[in-house]
Amino acid sequence: MDNLQKKFHFNRIIMRSYKFIGLVFLTVFLISVPVIIHNPYYIHLLIMVGINTVLAMTFIFLLRTGLITIAIAGFWGIGAYASALLTVRLGLSFWLALPTSTMITIIVAFFAGHLLVRKSGIGFVILTLVFAFIIALIFGTFEVFGGYIGIYNIPRPSPLPMPFMAPIKFASKIPFYYLMLFLVLVVCLASSAFYAAWTGRAWRAIGLNPRLAESLGVDIFRYRLFAFVITAGAAGLMGSFFAHYYGSIVPTTFGPFKTLYVQVYAILGGVEFAILGPLIGSLIMTLIPEFLRITKEVEPVFTGIIVVLLVIFLPDGLLGLLRRGRLQPPIKNIARVARWIRSFLPNKRSS
Amino acid sequence: MGVILEVKKLNKHFGGLAAINELDLNVIDTEILGLIGPNGAGKTTLFNVISGFFPPTSGKVIFNGQDITWLKAHEIAHLGISRTFQATNLFMRISVLENVFTGYHLSYKTNRLKRILRTPAALKEEEFLRKKAVEILEFMGLTPLKDEPAANLPHGHQRILGVCMALATPPKLLLLDEPVTGMNPTETQNMIDLIRQIREKGITIVLVEHDMKAVMNLCDRIVVLNYGQKIAEGLPEEIRENKEVIEAYLGKERKK
Repeated sequence: MDNLQKKFHFNRIIMRSYKFIGLVFLTVFLISVPVIIHNPYYIHLLIMVGINTVLAMTFIFLLRTGLITIAIAGFWGIGAYASALLTVRLGLSFWLALPTSTMITIIVAFFAGHLLVRKSGIGFVILTLVFAFIIALIFGTFEVFGGYIGIYNIPRPSPLPMPFMAPIKFASKIPFYYLMLFLVLVVCLASSAFYAAWTGRAWRAIGLNPRLAESLGVDIFRYRLFAFVITAGAAGLMGSFFAHYYGSIVPTTFGPFKTLYVQVYAILGGVEFAILGPLIGSLIMTLIPEFLRITKEVEPVFTGIIVVLLVIFLPDGLLGLLRRGRLQPPIKNIARVARWIRSFLPNKRSS
Repeated sequence: MGVILEVKKLNKHFGGLAAINELDLNVIDTEILGLIGPNGAGKTTLFNVISGFFPPTSGKVIFNGQDITWLKAHEIAHLGISRTFQATNLFMRISVLENVFTGYHLSYKTNRLKRILRTPAALKEEEFLRKKAVEILEFMGLTPLKDEPAANLPHGHQRILGVCMALATPPKLLLLDEPVTGMNPTETQNMIDLIRQIREKGITIVLVEHDMKAVMNLCDRIVVLNYGQKIAEGLPEEIRENKEVIEAYLGKERKK
């Protein structure tokens, strides 16, 4: 027993050091990407991967409190529109508009959350779906938001003065890439701080067993609302960045369908992995269509096929394979598919 | 000996069915009160109303002089009433220690911002609470299993873990819903001893149980419910001899 415990402890230390080494390599790789890759189009793809990673992270964050949200893209859009309006109409600088639009998203989420979070389960899904449609409709209908033409000519961030260096000008994609890395890092640090503290334990308790959590004194509504608000804040932050990076925004980008894509990223990577799962998922879903030269029109078909394969073969996501330590024997999966296909065929015995 | 919990003219109707009907009940400080009655007598419903999971139809629940009738479950937990569930109810996927540690949700005292930023004071408090969780596990005899996922525990230990979590909040009044159900005689005796030791710590206990031997052995006082009404109240010896109680359980004696 004692020996076994020691071995277990040793394994944990090894795992931890692997994790650390992996993290160092990942950081070095991410920082050196613009040196390795010169094609600006790939840099653009990676920036989009970064945005999608954060959005998928917010999905997992809420999923762990037992809520499935379809409003992520809505809050992403609120951040983007708030930032665009603040800079285009009011002439604010990007560096002021970024935190302000995040705050605006948080305030909207706070009031919307008071209505939405009262329901859980399927009720919450429907309410957030409706909310997402309403947000997209508001952006499309009202003159202030530019209607379906959207807002264009959103200014790029003004040059960022740096100590001991020339100010960073946002002329090419590379400074945007580093800004994206910085924002993703901020979100990751914030989310792991919340997970490590008592809030993380309360969220986990609500996700695992809401009744028991309540009997232990966890205020379910308040903690769910808190999770809802801070995930909306993260989405709003990325929205503001997206608006200034892309230069123009249209309401259709922020509809509920975007959220469905985000959910596919999260599930493909594996919802058990709060940060790495979304990263792997959105990386694969962005890069594979690119390498296969699939056009935008056919992409939903590709996504659909991925979803079907996911549900059948990899309900735990790609990283779920790592946790299990091995691939499932293929025979079992083939049998499962065969059974699935057979279930559509008429039953011979009954006729 | 003061009254810690007072239930006054409590009613709970589910549609046309009166699960609790004009019930009056007093729980005295640091006693072990047994609630018995046939199936469907309203015992678990009473627990659900007291602990705030269901609102009552009418009536009052007073805890330590404070009206808690309409408070929500988490607010009642905050005031010092904690409960276990009839069905085994745990955070199955996390370890035994983490289960109990989660129960300390209400015990943090440091500033929230400090806790998020993980300052030394906050970490120290976390360590302190974790130590207290280990103490509870030691008290209840689950220390060797503390790193095991709760789902892997045998039934008897899972029930004990449920009580450990209820003790973490920490409670003044503990509601135990069928604590020894499904246990073998050794486990039952162990649980009885544990419940006595919990009372020694100054915690009042109300328990619902079908195991008559355990109830008679353990309780200071017994209340018998039938169809949501109190039909008898008294010492275990009195209840054992009570005609009405025997009728409720076994049916009326046929007249010759």
